[in-house]
Amino acid sequence: MKFTIQKDLLLESIQHVMKAISSRVTIPILTGIKIEATNEGIKLTGSDSDISIESFIPTEENGIIHVENIQPGSIVVQSKYFPDIIRKLPLKTVEINTTDEFKVNIISGGSEFHLNGQDPNEYPQLPTLYTENSFTLTNTVLKELIKQTVYAVSTVETRPILTGVNMTLKEERLNFVATDSHRLASRHLPINLADNQLNFNSVVIPGKSLVELNKIIDENDETTSISVTENQILFQTKNLYFLSRLLDGNYPETSRLIPDQSKTTILTKTKELLNAIDRASLLARENKNNVVKLETKSDNRLEISGHTPEVGQVIEEVNSESVEGEDLKISFSAKYMLDALKIIESDNVKIEFTGAMRPFIIKPENDEDILQLILPVRTF
Amino acid sequence: MRSWSNMIERQPIATKMLQQMLVRKRVSHAYLIQGDKGTGKEAIGYLLAKSLFCKQIDNSEPCNQCHDCQRIESGNHPDVHWIRPDGASIKKDQIAHLQKEFTYTGMESNQKVYLISHADLMTTNAANRLLKFLEEPSRKTTAILMTENNQAILDTIKSRCQILTLKPLSPKSVQQILENNAVSRENARLFSVVMPNLEQAMKLDQDEWFAQARSLMVQLISILQSNLDETLFFIQKQWMTHFSDRDKLNLSLDLLTYWFKDLIYLQLDQQESLVYQSYLTELEQATWHWSRQDIVEILVLILEAKKQLTQNVHPTLVMEKLVLQMQR
Repeated sequence: MKFTIQKDLLLESIQHVMKAISSRVTIPILTGIKIEATNEGIKLTGSDSDISIESFIPTEENGIIHVENIQPGSIVVQSKYFPDIIRKLPLKTVEINTTDEFKVNIISGGSEFHLNGQDPNEYPQLPTLYTENSFTLTNTVLKELIKQTVYAVSTVETRPILTGVNMTLKEERLNFVATDSHRLASRHLPINLADNQLNFNSVVIPGKSLVELNKIIDENDETTSISVTENQILFQTKNLYFLSRLLDGNYPETSRLIPDQSKTTILTKTKELLNAIDRASLLARENKNNVVKLETKSDNRLEISGHTPEVGQVIEEVNSESVEGEDLKISFSAKYMLDALKIIESDNVKIEFTGAMRPFIIKPENDEDILQLILPVRTF
Repeated sequence: MRSWSNMIERQPIATKMLQQMLVRKRVSHAYLIQGDKGTGKEAIGYLLAKSLFCKQIDNSEPCNQCHDCQRIESGNHPDVHWIRPDGASIKKDQIAHLQKEFTYTGMESNQKVYLISHADLMTTNAANRLLKFLEEPSRKTTAILMTENNQAILDTIKSRCQILTLKPLSPKSVQQILENNAVSRENARLFSVVMPNLEQAMKLDQDEWFAQARSLMVQLISILQSNLDETLFFIQKQWMTHFSDRDKLNLSLDLLTYWFKDLIYLQLDQQESLVYQSYLTELEQATWHWSRQDIVEILVLILEAKKQLTQNVHPTLVMEKLVLQMQR
């Protein structure tokens, strides 16, 4: 293998793939970066076996030549030294070539490095994904989807399947659902599938992978194409491929949990409610599960109170837009409520209750696609 | 041991069973391979993992050429997880890592194999965690547990595994193999009794340390016969510095055991059974010093000392006590 490449481009790619590389892997080869040269360009791969990131540098882009003198081949180099070496090279271009027995030579101006590499055949083979099984989303929408659901995934490993976000495709709608069995976040998105045949209807993507993905993609109008194989999911932007393994198992049926009628409906300003609960939770924090109480009063007023016997108590009053239906006293976790309100961007929020012991639904006003559900806390 | 056909000479029954299972595609979800040191547990583990992943499998025989086989050999296969004791035991975290691994889909295929060496060294916590997914195996997962001490494995784990017992190696066959590998007859004989593991025995043969250990042992015997006042000094100065840890000291006691066993053989006039053939004159001299009664008593004392070593008695004290008792 041999090629000459622009240093800055190579460095940028290295920084992308380094995000996937962890020092705590059990498979020794995964401490390395795989470099693959073809006549089309250079591909770097990093992986910690849960997620894998591939970054592609095309030989030529818009008439500008990035890579020259390519002799195809591949090698695995140690990720501990390679990035620093490239960063500190003197010239703007760098020549990389390999010799027998997996030695890598890095030459730039007067400096010359000879690194020991590893056999590229030892590197895990990432699945080849077929583009006809994919659909596309714009980056902004994808980031939004992640932000609105991933916070609700479970962080404990007792039910591993709940540490992921369930992605389903049904009747031209894409659904993202996450729950930790105390709360649930879901987001629907109408999707135009044209005529391609997608070969999945339900997969569970690990929450950690989505958080990582969210960091990598920029917020812009470019598109990401998503495709699913038997055991991995691929998010593909222009020159970056992000692969994640899926969670194994069946995701619990969640649609039945969502009540379809309500006894009390509240419409109120999102910001005001958020701040009031935030303040009320200050004194509830001592309390193990951070519980605040909400009570409906006359004249569309809401009273939110937090109370810890050793510390004191707080009463907040919020003037809501409307309160319909039965009077209500309900307790819930302030943390869950705050998480839910934070992702609602509309000015007004609609909360539908079905009694003090039943889960309640939080939605933005006039938007049926975002739905959040919280289980109340039983207090006496 | 890169193919079943090699393995079959050493472990005919277990190999046959596994081969049949592979051919008939009736691979169980968990195996417990038990057998003494050097009986080829890990070799069977490697072979089984390769046979399960190799795509060019030829009638249960893995090809050893393809990516899958080579990466299993080098420990780089992403869907094969090999757990070895971290220090003195297998910790809960190691099993937790495995547990997490199994909630994910496979990296390359949906088949996964996990192997646990020295499964008896799992902490109770770790063993109980393991039980959880031994009980509910996910699809296409194979567990291979290996142990030298099957008594120390939880019954609940044993009952969920198919147990394969490996045949212990006979000293004769080991000696034969060693001699074929250019180890001197004398050494081959000694190794075959103290170290019935081919690879380790070969290494020991090249080892200066071991040659010295043997001559120290002969020195101790001669001091015990002539120069009683010096024994404790000798133990302090030379013996304990050479046999510096418990494992080495254990080996030294083994060497002593076989010396006294040789004395009995000599008294019974069974010269062909001798381990220390080249020290025949020293042996004959020693038979004048110790009666058969003495020898039996000394053998009991040595075994007692070995037991004390495992019970964390201070090594120097164990040796001093032993030589003092041997003088009586």
